[in-house]
Amino acid sequence: MAEIIITVDGVQITVPDTMNVVDAARLAATQIPVFCYHPRLPAVGMCRMCMVAIGMPRIDRDTRQPMLNEHGKPIIQMFPKLQPACTTRVADGMVVITNSEEVKFAQNGVLEFLLTSHPLDCPVCDKGGECPLQNLTMEWGPGNSRFDYSDKVHFEKPYKLGDLINLDRERCILCSRCVRFQDDLADDSVLGFDQRGRKWHIISKSDPPFDSKFSGNTTDICPVGALTTSDFRFRARAWELTSVPSLCNHCAVGCNTTLDMRHNQLQRVMPRDNAAVNDIWICDKGRFGHRFIEREHRLTTPLVRRDGQLQPATWDEALDVIATNLRAIQAAAGGAALAGLAGEHLANEDLFLFQRLFREVLGSNNLDTRTGVPGEYALDDVGYQYGVGVGTNLMDLGKGTAVLVFGADPEEEAPLYMLRLRQIVTQGGSLIVANPRPTKLDRSATQTLHYRPDSEREVLLALLKLVSAETKQIPQRTTGGAELKGTLEQTKLDAVAKLSGLEQAALAQAAQTILAAEHLLIVYGADVLVHGASLSALLANLLILRGKVGLANSGLIPLLARGNSRGALDMGVRPDKAAGYAPLKQAGLTAREMWPAALAGKLRGMYLMGSDPVASYAPARAALDALAFLVVQDTTLTATAQLADVVLPGTNVAEYDATYTNAERRVQRARLARKVYDASKPNWEIVQAVAQALQGELVLAGAASSTTVTRTVGGNGKSGDGVQGKLTLTTSTASPVAAQESWDYITVGEVAADIADLVPGYAGITHTALAQTAQTKEWGRQANEDYFYDGTSYTNAEGVGLQVPAGAELPKATFDLTPPPATKVPASSTYPFALLVQTLAYRNDPFLHDSLLQSHIPAGYIALNTADAAQLGIAAGAQVQLTSAAGSLRGTARVVPDLPAGCVLVPGGLVDLPVATIQTGALTRVAVSSVAE
Amino acid sequence: MALTEHVIMRELDVPNIADFNVYLQHDGYVAYRKALTEMKPNEIVQIVSDAGLRGRGGAGFPTGRKWSFLPRGVYPRYLLCNCDESEPGTFNNHQIIDLNPHQLIEGVALSAFAIEAEVAYIYCRGEFATAVNTLEHAIEQAYAAGFLGKNILGTGVNIDMYVHRGAGAYICGEETALMESLEGKIGQPRNKPPFPAVEGLYRKPTIINNVETLANVPPIVLKGVDWYRSYGTQQSPGTKVFSLSGHVNRPGNYELPFGVTLRELIYSPEYGGGMHGDRPVKIIIPGGASAPWLIDKHLDTPLDYESVAAAGSMLGSGAVMVMNDTVSAPHLAYKMDEFFKHESCGKCTPCREGTHWLVKVLHRFAEEGHGRAEDIPVLHSIYRQMQGNCFCLLGESAVMPIKSALALFPEEFEAYVARAASNGHDGQNGSAKGKPVIALQQR
Repeated sequence: MAEIIITVDGVQITVPDTMNVVDAARLAATQIPVFCYHPRLPAVGMCRMCMVAIGMPRIDRDTRQPMLNEHGKPIIQMFPKLQPACTTRVADGMVVITNSEEVKFAQNGVLEFLLTSHPLDCPVCDKGGECPLQNLTMEWGPGNSRFDYSDKVHFEKPYKLGDLINLDRERCILCSRCVRFQDDLADDSVLGFDQRGRKWHIISKSDPPFDSKFSGNTTDICPVGALTTSDFRFRARAWELTSVPSLCNHCAVGCNTTLDMRHNQLQRVMPRDNAAVNDIWICDKGRFGHRFIEREHRLTTPLVRRDGQLQPATWDEALDVIATNLRAIQAAAGGAALAGLAGEHLANEDLFLFQRLFREVLGSNNLDTRTGVPGEYALDDVGYQYGVGVGTNLMDLGKGTAVLVFGADPEEEAPLYMLRLRQIVTQGGSLIVANPRPTKLDRSATQTLHYRPDSEREVLLALLKLVSAETKQIPQRTTGGAELKGTLEQTKLDAVAKLSGLEQAALAQAAQTILAAEHLLIVYGADVLVHGASLSALLANLLILRGKVGLANSGLIPLLARGNSRGALDMGVRPDKAAGYAPLKQAGLTAREMWPAALAGKLRGMYLMGSDPVASYAPARAALDALAFLVVQDTTLTATAQLADVVLPGTNVAEYDATYTNAERRVQRARLARKVYDASKPNWEIVQAVAQALQGELVLAGAASSTTVTRTVGGNGKSGDGVQGKLTLTTSTASPVAAQESWDYITVGEVAADIADLVPGYAGITHTALAQTAQTKEWGRQANEDYFYDGTSYTNAEGVGLQVPAGAELPKATFDLTPPPATKVPASSTYPFALLVQTLAYRNDPFLHDSLLQSHIPAGYIALNTADAAQLGIAAGAQVQLTSAAGSLRGTARVVPDLPAGCVLVPGGLVDLPVATIQTGALTRVAVSSVAE
Repeated sequence: MALTEHVIMRELDVPNIADFNVYLQHDGYVAYRKALTEMKPNEIVQIVSDAGLRGRGGAGFPTGRKWSFLPRGVYPRYLLCNCDESEPGTFNNHQIIDLNPHQLIEGVALSAFAIEAEVAYIYCRGEFATAVNTLEHAIEQAYAAGFLGKNILGTGVNIDMYVHRGAGAYICGEETALMESLEGKIGQPRNKPPFPAVEGLYRKPTIINNVETLANVPPIVLKGVDWYRSYGTQQSPGTKVFSLSGHVNRPGNYELPFGVTLRELIYSPEYGGGMHGDRPVKIIIPGGASAPWLIDKHLDTPLDYESVAAAGSMLGSGAVMVMNDTVSAPHLAYKMDEFFKHESCGKCTPCREGTHWLVKVLHRFAEEGHGRAEDIPVLHSIYRQMQGNCFCLLGESAVMPIKSALALFPEEFEAYVARAASNGHDGQNGSAKGKPVIALQQR
């Protein structure tokens, strides 16, 4: 890429020679109007809006130098016709004229032409107010039309392109941005064209129609109101919306969103530009799966169980009951009799205070974010230790980058990664996709490895053996090299090939790609996360051997379950480590260990915040029933909350200002978008109130009965009304504990400041710092720039987040090569099949309740390889039974040719096929039998 | 000036040359055999260059030069024969296939060898059902005789040939739209550059030539450059099959050397045989619907690329349409632009919307008789807004009829306006006075 000089309307600028004229002119602060051109899509030059006059210096044929005029200036030879600026690449000495009469005539003409078929129904169009066609018409169009026929384009409308996206073919100006987005970026070629001429129109080619997880983005880049979402259609005018920066909490990508509010109601979710996270896109789950924010049946007040019934109570009453009972249990059986579970979607501030409450006030390490369901993800420390370095930006990566996707299906687990990894390939990078089964990302891969289930460890050891053979020197600060060497010596490539079904040459090719990479990224997902460090540590070893640890643009990216899964681990909501991965003297109980402990009477009280174990793991019910006391804090009366003694009305991501940490350890801030329901409070405030109540209880324990505790309630002073108010306890000054441990946060920013002080890695990550953006130039559309350029995604003016350093980036970090021990579940003749559980984006997730995506959740099925199905005499659509050591499950068979033999694939998280009931652990072995009709 | 020996329409010299055996007995596949066994591919490119063969599809681009644009060492390459003969007034390709198909097959195979392509496609317009059958039969015979397939004539050369039938879109005659269509996509033009020779079918180097162009190759290779150059002019050597139509007594295909005058083509008893009913010539469209119009004063223009261009038009596909004085210029422009509107692919705005609007206004003049004075500047404006701003040549071609009509016969438009005014029409959407201008369409 060379820098060259061009002249745009008399302004000389230096630009990279790879640019087209539209982008180059932007650098000279000259707008060239476009419809079909989009900076993220290949230019096609079909709308003809960007026609400009272009000239080049006349070159002397003999000297090959520019010819000069009498003033010593190059003689400029203009092209005889106007040229499309989008498909014309800049060249040295080029002269671009965008404001001549000739250019204005052409641009005017295109707009006049477009408006001869466009219906001009702006008053009822959802795009009105943020419409490139409106804006370009005002700026570059004719003031009126000479087309005096009642012959606009007419089509039946509305026309459902898919159930999420509506197409108004009358408004469509046929720029093909949507078609090209689906073809080139999303790799879902589901849109196309039919007919020709003025009847030319967009259609969906897929069944079900518009079958893509990225469909909503087409409405953002549509330059007219042709594409609208079913979610926002006719809900509000663009100028009535109050836009609040927020985050999508569904998966670990942490996409930046904007919540568009009107009258305290959420109208739509839009992407917010962040080049290091989601660029200008969000997936459909992020866009449409947000109705949980204001779903029906929200809890609006605390509930306390009286006479066996949960009944409304004031905060005072509820906190009183909680304090009394938790302290009673603590006094009788110690802190070890208490446990807490918190959801991974909650904010860092919530989780930090939650673990403080347990560790400091209640004296318990029995903390977890999981629910103990077999096959759930292990706690991922490796992904922190060897995660991608600070400064990583996938958008910049291409040539020289190798990505290994191992045991992951990004499209389902973290959809935006699908786009981002594809972009790396488009920009010249290598992508190895290794999975037991085909995934959609395979189509973009430069190499695919389909290993047999349960051969992951051997495959990784084989790769390590091939890579270490080429590694001359093991990087400094590395331990465990000898242990690894020993293990690798026992690894025989031919045996691995036989076991995994991979060719030795394919393994060698993958190793070569890894060895050749300047930047090495390893993305792993569900299939690795269920096994935990026993596999992820081997992935990390690849990085260590290659010396790619603690560096920007290299490292691990774990596709963790939720938007703040990493934050929950960082904050120490886990039994084995405190905040910042600090070691504990004694580990507490994991979620899985809590249930037997509760049944045995060792665990007597629990506080669940945003956690619903009954829904995900049925056996939890009996254990929760056995508890002496249960507090549940959530936004709705979940199955678990129905068992509680006290229910506290919590809040969701839109309802309080807080921070979240994504898979790449980028801490980002979501803002308060929506006033909370009645007595609900931000989750962190509730945790603090519980702590304060407990401290009050501690002070007065023994001195008086709990019912005589005197409290004043902040805010308007009215007891129980906590909408804006804040609970404070006047009694806490007398407490020796309170003197030691402050529970007097007034704002959430103070909690964040405490996190910055106390959690290693979070230093400096305050709310103020998070609100800052980098140089605006780097973040897509520039301030005040028009929608026409790249669509209606929001400019990021409120913070692009800050990355927490990976463990390996800390001074004196050491890198451990010791291979973890194998954890094998041997196949048996009783249970000959390996059960693959697929993580689906669209599953029975409480966060998708009430959303348009409900109809996209598939019916459960049991997929079998064609040969296996034939051998078992199972036809597609037949009923089959899966039996494991834990139980059995019936479902409808699907027969698929590309699934490896010896395994069955079942989607997880579906209520009609609760596969968790037969899972026994990270890998479940099952028997398959057909069920007689 | 009549030819004693034809280069393309050899059916006039050799009866029943469409029969494979007859073709073989009359120099059939001799040039091909000679080329494969005795010559190198680039020698053929050189011969074609030296002969000055120019593309017959419309642009008249030198064929040998086009072939030389192929990037070195990039394979596979493809040869495409453009048989999407859709230009109004053009009908020689079909006749070549009907009456002399083997010369085309030999030409395609020989050219494929010359450009080192192992696969050649003949893209026929959808309406050519019988022509496709003829070609497929001829190709079968060529395969059976060992002229196509693997290791042809023991030389190690492989050439496979396929016929593809389009689905009936004029735009698919545009070379890049043809490739899109052949790849199974919607027929629409691609951006250029990259040009097909660099990145064409399946993004591989591709040469695309017209039927008549490729049918010229075997005689050139067989009989040599000098023989070929003995026909035609210095700049436009050889012969051209002119498709003569319109108000002439004897419409049809006439193969004549380049340089024959319009007058001779139209009036010679051997060719056009004069104007029907001896009416005067009013409009001549010398190169298919896309060519600017000529008038009677151009009758002595020689039909070669340079002379027709000097007269302000283009030889194009050599489809000479002759109109007598009964034809109304606005009506002719209307009919022509109606065609372009119907065939506009819709990809670019000026063509999609411009042709529609043009036809709307022209319909008002020519069909409704309600033309208004203020419509005339609008017509000027519409074609100017299209001219030079369209994605491909279809839109640029659509400019020609209206631009010619307005330039050559402005008084006829004014006459329409005057007549409409005298009839009391207000010219609004063909509705009588008092009715709403904008009628809400029933849904």
